[in-house]
Amino acid sequence: MANHADTSTDAPVRKRKKMSAGRILAWAVMIAFLILSLFPFYWMLRTALSTSRSLSSDPSSLLPVDFTFGAFERVLGLATQEEAIAEGGSGASVNFWLYLRNSVIYAGAVTLGQVFFSAMAAYAFARLRWPGRNLVFGIFLGALLVPPIFTSLPNFLLIKNLGLLNTFPGMILPTFLMTPFAIFFLRQFFLGINREIEESASLDGAGPWRTFFKIILPMSTAPITTLGILTFITTWNDYFWPLLVGNSEGTKVLTVALGVFRSQTPAGSPDWAGLMAATLVAAVPVLILFFMFARKIIDSIGYSGSK
Amino acid sequence: MATFNFRKAGTALAAVTALSLTLTACGGESEPAATNGGDGEAVDTSAASGQIDYWLWDNNQKPAYEQCAADFQEETGVSVTITQYAWDDYWSGITNGFVAGTAPDVFTNHLSRYPEFVTQGQLMALDATLEADGVDVDGYQEGLADLWVGQDGLRYGLPKDFDTVAIFYNKALIEEAGVDEADLAALEWNPEDGGTYEEMIAHLTIDNNGVRGDEPGFDKTKVAVYGLGLDGGSGGGNGQTQWSMYSGTTGWTVTDKNPWGTKYNYDAAEFKDTISWMASLAEKGYMPTVEAVTGQSSGDIFGAGKYAMITNGSWMINQMFGYTGIETGLAPTPVGPSGERASMYNGLADSVWAGSDNKAAAVKWVEYLGSAACQDIVGEAGVVFPAIPSATEKAQAAFADRGIDVEPFLVHVNEGTTFLFPITDYASQINGIMQPAVDAVFTGQADVDSLDAANEQVNALFNG
Amino acid sequence: MVSTRTLEHSLDTNRKRTSDLRTALLFIAPAAIGFVVFYLVPAVRGVYFSFTRYNILGTPTWIGTENFEKIAVDPLFWNAMWVTVGYVLLNIGFQTVIAIVLAVMMQRLTKSIALRGALLLPWLISNVIAAMLWFWLLDYQIGLFNQVIEWMGASKIAFFADETWAIPTIAFVNVWRHMGYTALLVFAGLQTIPKYIYEAASIDGASEWTSFWKMTLPLLRPVLAMILVITVTGSFQVFDTVAVTTRGGPVNVTRVMQYYIYQKAFGEGQFGYGSALAVILFIILAVLAAIQLRMLRAGESDLA
Repeated sequence: MANHADTSTDAPVRKRKKMSAGRILAWAVMIAFLILSLFPFYWMLRTALSTSRSLSSDPSSLLPVDFTFGAFERVLGLATQEEAIAEGGSGASVNFWLYLRNSVIYAGAVTLGQVFFSAMAAYAFARLRWPGRNLVFGIFLGALLVPPIFTSLPNFLLIKNLGLLNTFPGMILPTFLMTPFAIFFLRQFFLGINREIEESASLDGAGPWRTFFKIILPMSTAPITTLGILTFITTWNDYFWPLLVGNSEGTKVLTVALGVFRSQTPAGSPDWAGLMAATLVAAVPVLILFFMFARKIIDSIGYSGSK
Repeated sequence: MATFNFRKAGTALAAVTALSLTLTACGGESEPAATNGGDGEAVDTSAASGQIDYWLWDNNQKPAYEQCAADFQEETGVSVTITQYAWDDYWSGITNGFVAGTAPDVFTNHLSRYPEFVTQGQLMALDATLEADGVDVDGYQEGLADLWVGQDGLRYGLPKDFDTVAIFYNKALIEEAGVDEADLAALEWNPEDGGTYEEMIAHLTIDNNGVRGDEPGFDKTKVAVYGLGLDGGSGGGNGQTQWSMYSGTTGWTVTDKNPWGTKYNYDAAEFKDTISWMASLAEKGYMPTVEAVTGQSSGDIFGAGKYAMITNGSWMINQMFGYTGIETGLAPTPVGPSGERASMYNGLADSVWAGSDNKAAAVKWVEYLGSAACQDIVGEAGVVFPAIPSATEKAQAAFADRGIDVEPFLVHVNEGTTFLFPITDYASQINGIMQPAVDAVFTGQADVDSLDAANEQVNALFNG
Repeated sequence: MVSTRTLEHSLDTNRKRTSDLRTALLFIAPAAIGFVVFYLVPAVRGVYFSFTRYNILGTPTWIGTENFEKIAVDPLFWNAMWVTVGYVLLNIGFQTVIAIVLAVMMQRLTKSIALRGALLLPWLISNVIAAMLWFWLLDYQIGLFNQVIEWMGASKIAFFADETWAIPTIAFVNVWRHMGYTALLVFAGLQTIPKYIYEAASIDGASEWTSFWKMTLPLLRPVLAMILVITVTGSFQVFDTVAVTTRGGPVNVTRVMQYYIYQKAFGEGQFGYGSALAVILFIILAVLAAIQLRMLRAGESDLA
């Protein structure tokens, strides 16, 4: 690092100096990507704090146009329908806290089930020896390729015929037991676990269940947490399925409820300020979740068995 | 041992598969209940009771309809649950609902969709019930009720509102150009040189250096304000807000007859001339290119002061007049070769789903939605033009209270210069063919005569 | 690595050779139910529909391979294919390289969680919103970027609809949204590489650059293989970005395969034809995935 470059001139230090030039370049690239990532979010915030109807009057203003918290009030359901329409938006009766709760239940339940059951299957595909293993895995992987137009309608019918429309079980079921991505992801990580540890456990007489719970799961905190976060975020952002299956008040999730800020009519404009405020507000819980668990992803390197 | 287990697992898997197959199959292809009202048979609405679902897509109209529903419940005891979905989700929801048997009892229907719903047996014919209840379908603005009579001669919807097209203009830009607002109402158009209409458009166009489109030195590659805007694309096969108000004055009709034509006329010279003229406007820099506007919502561009004028539909009134810092005005579309103006005339209606399990209440609600009692409430809200003339007047008054003179939209109805939105079978497939075809002429990728081939493709749909 | 592999080999011979079949079946049972009910059965139904004329609401009529014969000579199908392939190449190329770079930097440059969170931020908003936001920022007339371009004296660009720019723009939007996510996947893979390997490398005097090419990349292979398969199949299914912006136009510039399938199956009521298109896409993706997995030997790890 740069601050170590002191006066001595022997070879290793010159080498460090060279690295520090590389580091500066690396930081520059990193900062460029940070700006690219963050700028649109600044733009969202600036839009969310603007008045929808005034936005067009100064489309390239870097500051909010006609500053107001109105959009956030609309999102949090604090504005009346008349106020909302007057500000160029819609979105009456947004029962924000209820929808937030629904989103947490939906995404939480899907994440718990999907990660656990997929981990079980991934263990069988990565660590157990049985005939036809790769073939069955290949078939499972095929699910990754099934186009959504094949699945949404039959699954909707199935949920309806099971009498689960507008219930959490109905919304959760299709992704509760597996997704091909989850299995694939964990299998690849399980493949990398050092066999020695498993072997020694097995020599100690531990059965597959114990091995799975006492060795594989604890050693895979990083990938499992990562998958958990990814699954949670994906489910949190789900729109079409919960719209189809859970559109009643008691099961409506945030993404669906905040859809009122999108354009209502075929050629109309969305309520830009409301839409951006809604997007930011809906992203906050997942962001908090990420920061809660991010440490886990990063700090649990030790599972390679080489601490 | 391994094989034994494997087979056992296979059997279990097969059992699960069979189970889910049957689960999916039963109720899958739900047949519309043809118990009553199937073939225009009457249902008895006098004993209507219980609860029904009603869907619409325009959230701005929801308060008015909630009022209607409250009044309706007081009158009949039937409770109506209103659900709103944005346009795209709306039609996916309707289709899925038809398949799964969960569609709403009553829903707002669109002309571009209903012929296919009729073919698929998803809509209930209303004739007999309306007749039994003594509902008069002649009380609507002329022609609207006829739009909803299918090829079988049966009625599948009761009109709720209608829309026409006019020019929205930016008052400041007009004034700056030294143009009198009254002049905008007196423009004439022809497909050869665009007439005084094109002169006006050219004059209203300004490049980045402040040079107007009709002045020497105009830089068509750097335009600051377009004389005429373009609404989100080429308009495909009907050009409702893009070019139908011009082609309608040339004597050209989209189909051989309307509704239920079986031959399209996209190979006619009048149509091709209109499209060529539109393409030439973009080429001259007086109007944005299709590339510049594809997918855009034109209102926001108008609101940014980039368009002096833009043709658009009456459903846009509140949005177009709502932009801060923009004073909006309305002018009627130009007079064309026929010596008259023209506007496409599109109407919405409420339809009853054939699979509804409470048809009595559903039809009763449609009747109420189509009555003056409810349409007056909708009119007073001042969002759209209701289909009943007295309610249309209420809407006009409500707009006037806000300082908006909507006469340029209604002039078409009053003077009889409307022509109907083309209603035929295969509407979505035809759009699939015509959207790229008209785009290609607009963008200059294809010659205007390429429309002949597209027209042949369209007409082939009707010949089996 | 060679040594670890031989180690595994020797362990293998020690292992009890009995099959774990019974246990394995128990372990995959819940996932298998989910797979069969929510993926396999719908897929099989879809394949059946591809041999029929069917519009969702009516009853399917068996027409043999007619749909497939029509597709072979359907210019829109071939157009959609090339548009999609162009998109996938751009998307995968940029996304993979950027993700690896970011992941390595996340690991070697800083441990800041805030920074990692910032890079993941675009993934926290949905496809639809990301598309709408960029569509607006890149608008020809009121978009911020075109204003800047104009201030610089250049000609404005119709990013989403111009024949040359449209597909790269759509690819850019999706790279923007996914780069942090993909980087996180790669990063998770990097975490599986034991520290002692880096330590050994730095003792041997290997530069950061050589150790990346000689150690990191090969050891990342199983994870990279997975990421490639996921992102390639994912990007062949690009739909939302087009559906909320250009809807396939102008002309057919952005009519990607999934959009064309959706248009046929739902928009135009030709569910049979749409299913046949989907089956073809499925076969292409399956072949691609198989090739990728084989080439990257995804089933093996150099480590264990």
